[in-house]
Amino acid sequence: MWNQIEQALEQSMQRVFEKIATLLPGLLAALVAVLIFLALAWAAAWLTRTVLTAVGFDARLTRGAVAIAEWTPAYTPTLLVTRIVFWVFVVTGLLVGVSAFDAASSEPVVSHAMFAFVPRLIGAAILLLVGNVLARFLSRSVLIAAVNMNLDYARLLSLGVKWLVLVLTGAMVLDHLGLGQQIVDMAFGILFGGIVLALSLAVGLGSRDLVSRSLEREAAKPVELPTQEKLRHF
Amino acid sequence: MAEAEVLEETGSGAGQQAAVDLLIGVTGAVSLDELRIRVSEVLAQAGRPGPGRVVVAWPGGEDATPVEPRDGFELIPYRVPPVNDGGAWAQISAAQRGVLALAAELKAAACLVLAADLEALHGEAVQTMAGAVLGRQCDLALPVYALTRYEGLLNTAILAPMSRALYARRVEFPLPFEFAASARYVECVAHSHGANAQGVLWPLSHAVQEPMPRNAGVCQVHLRAHHHAPMEGLDLTAVLSQIVGALFTEVELTASSWQRLRGSQPATVWGEPHAPVMPEEPVDAREMVESFQLAARNLGELWSLVLPPVALLELKRLARQPVESFRMPDALWARMVYDFALAHRLRTMGRSHLMGALTPLYLGWVASYVQEIALLPAAEVAERQERLARAFEENKPYLVSRWRWPDRFNP
Repeated sequence: MWNQIEQALEQSMQRVFEKIATLLPGLLAALVAVLIFLALAWAAAWLTRTVLTAVGFDARLTRGAVAIAEWTPAYTPTLLVTRIVFWVFVVTGLLVGVSAFDAASSEPVVSHAMFAFVPRLIGAAILLLVGNVLARFLSRSVLIAAVNMNLDYARLLSLGVKWLVLVLTGAMVLDHLGLGQQIVDMAFGILFGGIVLALSLAVGLGSRDLVSRSLEREAAKPVELPTQEKLRHF
Repeated sequence: MAEAEVLEETGSGAGQQAAVDLLIGVTGAVSLDELRIRVSEVLAQAGRPGPGRVVVAWPGGEDATPVEPRDGFELIPYRVPPVNDGGAWAQISAAQRGVLALAAELKAAACLVLAADLEALHGEAVQTMAGAVLGRQCDLALPVYALTRYEGLLNTAILAPMSRALYARRVEFPLPFEFAASARYVECVAHSHGANAQGVLWPLSHAVQEPMPRNAGVCQVHLRAHHHAPMEGLDLTAVLSQIVGALFTEVELTASSWQRLRGSQPATVWGEPHAPVMPEEPVDAREMVESFQLAARNLGELWSLVLPPVALLELKRLARQPVESFRMPDALWARMVYDFALAHRLRTMGRSHLMGALTPLYLGWVASYVQEIALLPAAEVAERQERLARAFEENKPYLVSRWRWPDRFNP
């Protein structure tokens, strides 16, 4: 009995070691591929930064109509391009690594599944990034504009815009990934439609008196030069 | 020399003719007939500046040609460099650069740049401004406009004190419609390149940086002219973006120059002061204070990206003050302007957002200022402006420190 247990253990350990021995070259190949592409990414990023700095890329872009800096103010256009180049190399390295791993193993399952999902994943990541940047930009724009227009509910307005964009982005990302498609569509439709309907009702019913009073007040107000117009700023 | 010959030569090789004593350049569309009549009158009043040629330049299109010389002066078109963006003042600056480029090409002894409304095209202005340069008293003559205490507030709040602190010359209007320049100043501006040759032209910054000599003279002339700003009708944030944004850009471009300058030198003022044209009406600051208070409640998060905690604390305290006693300390204002200049350079947030966040702070300063000066006599208003300018000067080390070590320096 004891011999049988020993034999079973030996066999299972042998199988595990054999599996490891089979996978190890693939793992090492993947690691080497990632390291090589990492080095290439650094070199390419350095080269890109040097070339763009030499040709005055930031200054040229600032002069033109493209205002990348308005959307991602913390990064200069050169830094953005440099980072994009870097990450393209890193992602390529990962894919090559996975492919090398699969080539070394007997069944190429991992790379098949991964290559099929990667384009969607990249698309979703870009959507998420753009949505976040857009939400931040629009919420700040609305907040500043509303404050400068002396609207008391400026913060509320800004938050509303931010969450509308974020909800829209979230729904688009899930849809793009193909996760819970029908639920997401329905939930988003109900949520977005509900918000718009609620706003319409609030303005149409709740603020009817307010709007009419405001119009009456404006009509009855004597014509007087606003303070700002008595001042000449420039 | 026959008139036809002069015309031909100005078209091809203008530099080979007799020297140009004075070039008067108009920085916008103007009726040539009116221009000719006005210049004839001016030369009759003020006299010719010398034995050489007098050239009047106007912004002609691609197909514009020089007009036959008459009444003792020539009319020559100049090319306005293309402007991508930057608003109305960028257009004016492009025209000013065009005038200076023509003056450099003709090797004019003096160049007088005038606004398109021709408000300053009169004998007294031409005589004093061009005279200051031709008499070798200075390389750059800037105007002193006669404004009421409620006019030119952006100039009083930011442009004049910041220019003085950075470029070390006590100039009242650093962004003028008109100015006169010597031949060597014209050469410097016309041959500037890269980012320095584009965007809004700040005459003073060119006068204090290389290749101009250190002893380059800057003087001022009391000018009888009242202009309507080209950006009337725009909202305040847009005006700040165009004007203050342009100043911040210039500050970034000239960082290597102004960091070396300390203190300030007075700029001699020529001529007699004129009375302001506009009537002075009392201003109620309540609306502006309320705008500031609303911003203090809502924009704290954005301000905290730009301003240090001490300033934020002071702003909170200010927001609690009643309207009547609302006063913004000069040092706080000066430091905040410097912080925004640094944020503009570092792109801490989008530049349109940055100027939007500065707008209520500026309104707070205006509210404080107009309440303070409402009952003061004119001389004390000038003293008040001097105090503000000194605050900018005294806080310049703060800007220099933050500029050099934006991450390391902890205010």
